[in-house]
This record gives sequence, C-alpha cells and structure tokens, in this order.
Amino acid sequence: MEARSPADWMYRFLLFPLGQMLAFIAGSAFILTLLAYGIALLFPEPRPNIVLADQIGRQLPGMVISGITTGFVYAMIALGYTMVYGVLKFINFAHSELFMVGSVVGFEVFLVFSAQAMLLTWHPVLLVAIAVLSAGLVSGLLAVTMERVAYRPLRGAPRLVPLISAIGVSFFMVDFVRALMAITRNDFNLTYPLNGVDWARAPIPLLIGTTTVNLRPTQIIIIVGAVLMLLFLNYFVNGTKLGRGIRAVSQDMTTAGLMGINVNRIIALTFFVGGAFGGAAGALFGMNVGTVTPFVGFFPGLKAFIAAVLGGIGSVTGALLGGLTLGMIESFLNGVLVYFPVFGQRYTDIFAFAVLILILIFRPSGILGEKVDEKV
Amino acid sequence: MALLEISDLHTYYGQIHALKGITLTVGEGEIVTLVGANGAGKSTTLRTVSGIARPRTGSIRFAGRDITGMKPHDIAALGISHVPEGRRIFPLLTVQENIEIGAWNVADRKQIGKRMQEMFALFPRLRERVQQKGGTLSGGEQQMLAIARALMCDPKVLLLDEPSMGLAPVLVEGIFDIITRINQEQKTTILLVEQNALMALEVASRGYVLQSGKIVLADTAHALMHNEEVRRVYLGEN
Repeated sequence: MEARSPADWMYRFLLFPLGQMLAFIAGSAFILTLLAYGIALLFPEPRPNIVLADQIGRQLPGMVISGITTGFVYAMIALGYTMVYGVLKFINFAHSELFMVGSVVGFEVFLVFSAQAMLLTWHPVLLVAIAVLSAGLVSGLLAVTMERVAYRPLRGAPRLVPLISAIGVSFFMVDFVRALMAITRNDFNLTYPLNGVDWARAPIPLLIGTTTVNLRPTQIIIIVGAVLMLLFLNYFVNGTKLGRGIRAVSQDMTTAGLMGINVNRIIALTFFVGGAFGGAAGALFGMNVGTVTPFVGFFPGLKAFIAAVLGGIGSVTGALLGGLTLGMIESFLNGVLVYFPVFGQRYTDIFAFAVLILILIFRPSGILGEKVDEKV
Repeated sequence: MALLEISDLHTYYGQIHALKGITLTVGEGEIVTLVGANGAGKSTTLRTVSGIARPRTGSIRFAGRDITGMKPHDIAALGISHVPEGRRIFPLLTVQENIEIGAWNVADRKQIGKRMQEMFALFPRLRERVQQKGGTLSGGEQQMLAIARALMCDPKVLLLDEPSMGLAPVLVEGIFDIITRINQEQKTTILLVEQNALMALEVASRGYVLQSGKIVLADTAHALMHNEEVRRVYLGEN
C-alpha cells in the first residue's frame, strides 16, 4: 500500500468532489438561465404589464439558491436508490419512506428539544446535527431491517418479485407511521416547533448585485449539511476498505465472495448508508418545509428516483449530478411558469416526469451511466 | 492425510447433473490438475469446492475439516483461494484496489504491504499499472492480476481455473512458469483446471481426467502424459 501525500488526499476527497458539485451547479444554472431567457424571447409579455425578461433577472439568484437546496435533497435521496441499485440491480421503491421516516424522526427530536427548552439555549449547529444524525440512524437501521425481512429472502427470484415486495413495504410503512402518529399524537400533520425560532426562520437578506434575496436559514442548513455528508460519502466509498468492498460487490458479487467478502454484510451496509442519507435528507427537508406527514415521501422519493435515472443509475456521481440538475430544472420552471396564465407553478411536476420519459427513451443509461454491456 | 479431500461429490445446475460422483484428493504442496473436454465438470468441481456451487451430496474436507456447503467467504477465510474462469477482476477498481481486495481478511496492514511487494516482484507488469483500472488491462495482465489477487491472503490452496484461456501462446508459457514458482517458492498447494492438458500435465505431479461429470482416469502426471488414450483424446494426437 503506497502512502498517499496529504495534497493528494486533499485533492481526492475535498477539492475534486467540491469542484464537481460547483461545476454541476454552475453548469445547470447557466444552461437553464439561457433557456429561461429563450422563453422570454418567445413570450416577452406572458401577461399584460409583465415583462418576463425583467422578472427572470430579478428572480435569478433566488431560483438558483432554491434549485441548489431542492437539488441537494434530491441528490441525497437519489444516493440511496443508486447505491442499492449498484449492488443488487434492484430499485428499492420503499426508499422514499426512509426519507419520510427521517422527516418524522427529525420532528420528534425537535419536539424533545422544544419540550426541554433546548431550542433557544443550545447551539443551532448541535441541535441540527443531533436531529439529522438521529434521523439518519433510524432510517439506516430501518433500511437494514427492510432488506433482511423483505428483500433478502427474495434474492434470486425474478426481478419483478422484490420490486413488488418493495411497493408493499412502502405502503406498509406509510400506514404504519400514520397509525403510530394517530395513536400517539392524534394527528399526522407534524409541524416542526421552529416557528419563531430565529436561527431557523429569520430570513437572511443577501445582496446580489442590485437585488436582495431573502435566504431561509434552513436552506443554508440543507446546503451545508448536504455538502458535508456528500464529502463524507465520497471519502467512505472511494477511500476506505468498506467502500472498496461495496464497489467490489457492485461490480461482481460472486467474485467478491471468493475474495472473502461477506456479501450479505456489504449489502446490509449499503442499505444502511443509503437509508441513512435518505433519513438525514428527510430531517433537513422537514426543517425547511415545516410540516411533514406520513405521505411526504412520495413526491421527493419519485423525483429523486428520476434524478438517479437522469444522472445514471448505479453511479454515485450521477446521483449528485441528476439531483442538482433536476432541482435546478424545477426551480427555474417554477420561477418562469408562475408568470404564465393557466400554466402555473402547479404543473412543474409534469416536467420532472417528462424528463424521466425523455431520458428513458433517448439515453436510458443516464448522463453518467455506464454502458449496459460493461456490466458482467 | 491429504489437504483437500473430495468424496463422491454430486452437483446439479437446475436439472443438469454436472458432477456425478467426483472423488479426488490433493496433498499438501502438490500441483494436481483436472483435465478434460468442455463441460466435463472441471470448473464445476472448483466452484463446488469454493462454495459458489452447492453440492447435493458428497463431502469436501479441507485440512481435516468438513467445509461442504459453507459460504464462499468462509471458505476463502480458511485459506482456499479461487481464481475463477475468465479471471473476473473488478473492472472499475484500480490494479492496487483489486490486489487489496484479495487481502480482505488480512487485518495487518504491514503484512498486506509486504505481500503486495512480493506480488509486484512476481508480476513486475502490475507495478507499472498500479493506478490503472483493472478493466483496461490486457488479457495476460488481467490473469496476472487475478492470480496476484488470489495470493494476497497467502492461501494454503490455490484453485486455478483455466489460467491460459484466451492468452497468446507466449504468455501461456509465462503463466505456467509462474504457477510452478508459486508452488515451489510459496509452498502453495495448487488445484489446476486446464483445457491445455499438455501444459497442465507438465507442471503437475498428478492428474485426473474428467468426462461428463465423472473421473475416468487418475494417475501421476507423467503416466497420464504417456497414456495412449489421453494422448489421443486430450492431447490431440492420432
């Protein structure tokens, strides 16, 4: 084993992944800005007295920031789909519920903080870290249980079978959490007790050029949290022995077993990591939107799945690229469509699914996906 | 007592009866070869020993211990290393990572480093390619990598499946030299499966001839090489 120099380490695990994120953000923001102005050329005044180009100019920084925020949430969920797909060639359709459980755990943790009057006395970074890590831990363990109970017995069955099992698990978890919340809280609209908490809710004005954008503190929390966790994941997958094991199992499970790797343990680990990221994303998301329900996983989960396919399912970098790109597309569409009559913001979902259909038709392996024939 | 004792092994692939009662032994320090035509059950025998294929009946004993039906990773941990047919290196891991994977159950990092240097001494080509992705290597280099990877855990028995497959004749010689060196220098016991029966019998001390899942001949490599039947059927002489 050759020793790596600290500079090399910095590059591989800090500068390169950070540069990658920046490139993905800047690239998609640039292309979408051009597209937005293209639309403005075609429809200069979608409504009387509304000049689209002016509106876009004013909205641009806000759209980019909200795109990054949504994009990181998608990326963190997409990682779970893509990692599990990498080792088992199987889409865990119950993954969205791990995100949901994470958001519910985050809520419970903040409730405790609130009851113990820690919300205003403890340092926000500590509070967020505890909430996010608890959510990640619970969702990770749940993912491992899920695999053990619902997927492992079906290993070797035709591909459709575990997929159906996953859908069953998904329904089960939604209703289980709903029942649990109905019994314990008599309500399943769970509102994070953050209203009036300045570090989470007081807008942060940010002056960009001549316009002021009001940032939500939770947006910054999402971005910082996601960047830290993604850096950790990159290190874990590419820089540790266990990560090497995950990659080996995903490339050739049988041969990995011959090398002495306990394949089932690596699969469980993959589920844990993927689940933990989904759960952590859930808690971050919950803090940002404020209210979550047992049904909250469905759309983000589906969108993240699209993101994973868009980036190239099976590829960790692809999940990041797909997540950020999709988040950005949605944010820009929201920003532009709102000025059109009839065709309002509510229709942005159409575009996310249109992306899925187009990708599946024209480039099923995704932007960064490996060619199918490269797999054994 | 033999290091590896296989008795009356029956393995099925679905409905196909691939091994129909294989009985063989491999003594400590030996090179034993299995020769035979395509589909005779040579690879299946190795796959059953390393736990990838499960036998329906019969037993496999390794160093006196029954390992029949154990999981592949547990068998590997006991010191049986299998170089599978087609090399099966990890295409997207670097050469170094591939080699490190071979030492999965070795905890001592110094030991791993030392072992890796030994592998580079055995296969200098791999040292030149250490940061290259496994999938970009040539067939011969991949075979070297597969053998190096299997040797990283310092196995007691090396199961080699068709190491000469798809290699240029000049490389085949080299691989067989290496097999002999591994056996002599590292004292590794080797069970070798080969279609190239002549080469295999030259390096082996004993051999078994397989035909449709059964052993039809067992003798010293020297005797097999001079056996009329073997020469006619497997060595392509008239």
